[in-house]
Amino acid sequence: MAGSNLVAQIILNGLMAASIYILVALGLTLVLSMTGIVQLAHGEIYMLGAYGTYFFCVVLGLHYLLALVISTLIIGLVGVPLEKIFFRPFRGRDFMPSVIIAVGIMIMLQTTAIVNFGSSIKVVTTPFRGVMTIAGAIVSWERLLVIAISAIFVGGLFLLLRRTKMGLGMLALSQDIRGAALQGISADRVSSVAMFLGCSLAAVAGGLMGAIFNLSPSMGGYALMKGIAVIILGGMGSLAGVVLGGLILGFIDGIVPPLLSVHMANLIGFICIILILIFRPQGIMGRPS
Amino acid sequence: MDRREITIPLNCALILFLFLIPLFVTGAYQLHVLVMTGIAVVLTSSLRLIFNSGQLSLGQGGMMTLGAYTSALLVTKLGLSTWIALGASAAAGALLGLLVGYPFMRLKGIYFSLVTVFMAEVIRLIAEQWRSVTGGTLGISNIPAPDAIAIPGLFNISFGSKVSFYYLTLILVLLSLLALYALERSRIGLTWFSVRESDFLSESIGIDTASSKVLGFCIGSFFAGLAGGLYSQYNSVITPSGFGFIYSMYVLIYMIVGGGQSFLGPILGAVILTFLPEVARPLKAYQPYIFGGVVILVMFLLPGGLVSLPQRIMTLFKGR
Repeated sequence: MAGSNLVAQIILNGLMAASIYILVALGLTLVLSMTGIVQLAHGEIYMLGAYGTYFFCVVLGLHYLLALVISTLIIGLVGVPLEKIFFRPFRGRDFMPSVIIAVGIMIMLQTTAIVNFGSSIKVVTTPFRGVMTIAGAIVSWERLLVIAISAIFVGGLFLLLRRTKMGLGMLALSQDIRGAALQGISADRVSSVAMFLGCSLAAVAGGLMGAIFNLSPSMGGYALMKGIAVIILGGMGSLAGVVLGGLILGFIDGIVPPLLSVHMANLIGFICIILILIFRPQGIMGRPS
Repeated sequence: MDRREITIPLNCALILFLFLIPLFVTGAYQLHVLVMTGIAVVLTSSLRLIFNSGQLSLGQGGMMTLGAYTSALLVTKLGLSTWIALGASAAAGALLGLLVGYPFMRLKGIYFSLVTVFMAEVIRLIAEQWRSVTGGTLGISNIPAPDAIAIPGLFNISFGSKVSFYYLTLILVLLSLLALYALERSRIGLTWFSVRESDFLSESIGIDTASSKVLGFCIGSFFAGLAGGLYSQYNSVITPSGFGFIYSMYVLIYMIVGGGQSFLGPILGAVILTFLPEVARPLKAYQPYIFGGVVILVMFLLPGGLVSLPQRIMTLFKGR
């Protein structure tokens, strides 16, 4: 009896963690493969998404879902000039300056959050309080909401990339910049769209996470670390790999904490990644370079 | 004209100046900043050595944590001499570098950098979780200062005061820089440069590129471990998260903003960028904006780093 409870609990917790990781990592990999930029400030975008939701929901008193949508759109739009001003001049060149600039932006965004919201922990309360029982597992509505909204966003992104002209153009560009340019695909436009989508995905992940855990200005570092881990696990440049990598890491986070501790889950996750990198550097779904 | 005729007297004057600093800088806080700057200089310069050998490590903070814990545990749990512990902290860095070096060197470019990030994170988590030994998140406190050096009747140097620690740091920094410089100018230094420029060509002339990179990583980690050991004895308290991912990124910033191409660059970057937040302190919470802004601006205007500024000004004056 307790066994099946535990299994169901593990699956749901794993799915929830996985959906956040997948959202963060999809944004990161989208920006990386379309613009060639290692966007290290991605974690701070995630953090701002959470604070944006907090601002509209708690400070202005809007409904949680409305706050989430507004925050996601605004943070997504913030990404566009960010890419245009800071990253575009370095596109296609040595990656080092863009990494340093990303860290500079990371510091500034973190400061922005501290200055405006203070460094004390904030809590977002949603109208989706309460729990339900699925297969013996007790799950809060909030966690189910996270899984559902993430699924919508991931599905939406895949449809956008595989079914629309813009999306196909983006995929083409990520594979061959020159070939795509010859087909009339504008690298500038793709960069803007990729950054908008990437930042939106990070922001929605932050906003969803804010409904479950506390907010702090330094929450981005952890998300970035997990995002990078997922990308490596799945294989750089592979979107399906991101989903798979996110599920693996999410389930490590679902299984280990009830047995050992949350920190052990992190430890095991990172050691897995080091091992995978060493024995299969291109990741699970990546192509060998 | 020989460049040495200028640089040698200049360096001597600079070193003399550094030794005289405690005469006019006496505030405990100012000396603290100077000690931390010295530690940052060692870390940044050792990162450059790894960088020169062809790989970019983002785990310098992790190596430093390892060094700090090694030294602190040897002194507090086993009661070893602080000087032996300091040596052991450097050795621990080098040893881990050697252990993980060969498997990590299978990875190239950004993949290597990322695996070092996770290695550092693993070190941090172990320090946090192995509570019975490391004291968990609270870390280790009451780490003794370095043992006094005494020759009866001649002198007795104790390390209770900030000033004495400033001198200890200064001497260790100068020795480290000397060693790093000598390494760079040696035959192995040339090998590193050649491996960095081209793996394939270096292998074609019979260089064992993997071993050469592992050696670079080892030596770089040696100095990061040393810096960690020194820090633990200086600060007397260490925690697992003191030198996390962000600290490693700062070290990278120091190097690139200072200028990774020259030996002077990382030193300049570490000194200027650790002073900058102190200068901007009156801005209180807004202070990091200055740091971030300067970093971004330098990348836009001086891609070669701060060290390329004089050259840049020269070319501006000469026209085009």
